[in-house]
Amino acid sequence: MLTREIIEPKNDKLNVSRNHKLPHSPGVRAGDFLFLSGMVSTDPNTGEMKQGTLTEEATQILENMKHLLESNGSSLEKVVKTSVVVYDMLELPNLNKVFAKFFPNDPPARTVCGARLSFGLKVEIEAIAVLGK
Amino acid sequence: MAIQKTILKLPSGGLDFKAVFGYPQSTAVEAGGLIFCSAMVAVDPETGEREHGTVTSEVHRIFKNLKLLLEANGSGLERLVRVHAMLYSRMEYDVLNRAYRQYVPSPPARMVWDVVIESGFKVQLDVIAAAGR
Repeated sequence: MLTREIIEPKNDKLNVSRNHKLPHSPGVRAGDFLFLSGMVSTDPNTGEMKQGTLTEEATQILENMKHLLESNGSSLEKVVKTSVVVYDMLELPNLNKVFAKFFPNDPPARTVCGARLSFGLKVEIEAIAVLGK
Repeated sequence: MAIQKTILKLPSGGLDFKAVFGYPQSTAVEAGGLIFCSAMVAVDPETGEREHGTVTSEVHRIFKNLKLLLEANGSGLERLVRVHAMLYSRMEYDVLNRAYRQYVPSPPARMVWDVVIESGFKVQLDVIAAAGR
């Protein structure tokens, strides 16, 4: 049977699910797959939501995602799929610049769509990764 | 332990979103027996030229491209597992279904979202398929 295990970031401040008592986990491992919850920009020093420009928010999210994956035996290189919600599709070129920086080689498959987000946030990113460095 | 992440080969240049649009993403990635595709929109599979049309014409084009992509990698439309169908307006829900059902005699799991899609497309399909057939 496939192993199912909750995964968490080593930095407790980034455990948004627990800190805000939300009914989801930062991620779940099923076999060699890691399914991450949708992530929004969070300050790794305070655990507070950190609104900014789309570029700032996306950069913070991917840095936090790197930490979450590396806390659990994976890495950004091992991301296979991302799903991104942005508040305005006119910002797609800005999102692309951030993605190009974090995924320089063999980038994951990606879906982007425009929709409204809570708390005036500009972007939310969800990912599926596999174990390994 | 770790499973491989493999970037899939593309049957034609127009489906290479990185080359055609400069998007920092792979069109499809295989890992652990699953194929994760970037959201597909209606493009000419040879040139990548965007083919905006009606919901009906875009759905037909997307499924034809997905068939090319999956069959070139040993899978096929009958191997679809899960689809996130994104639609510009819920009013066209039945229009989506009428074109969609022609390609999925044994329909995969599906969710439909109303969102904004890049470059003014009316439909995009984000799919996961099982590798092999």
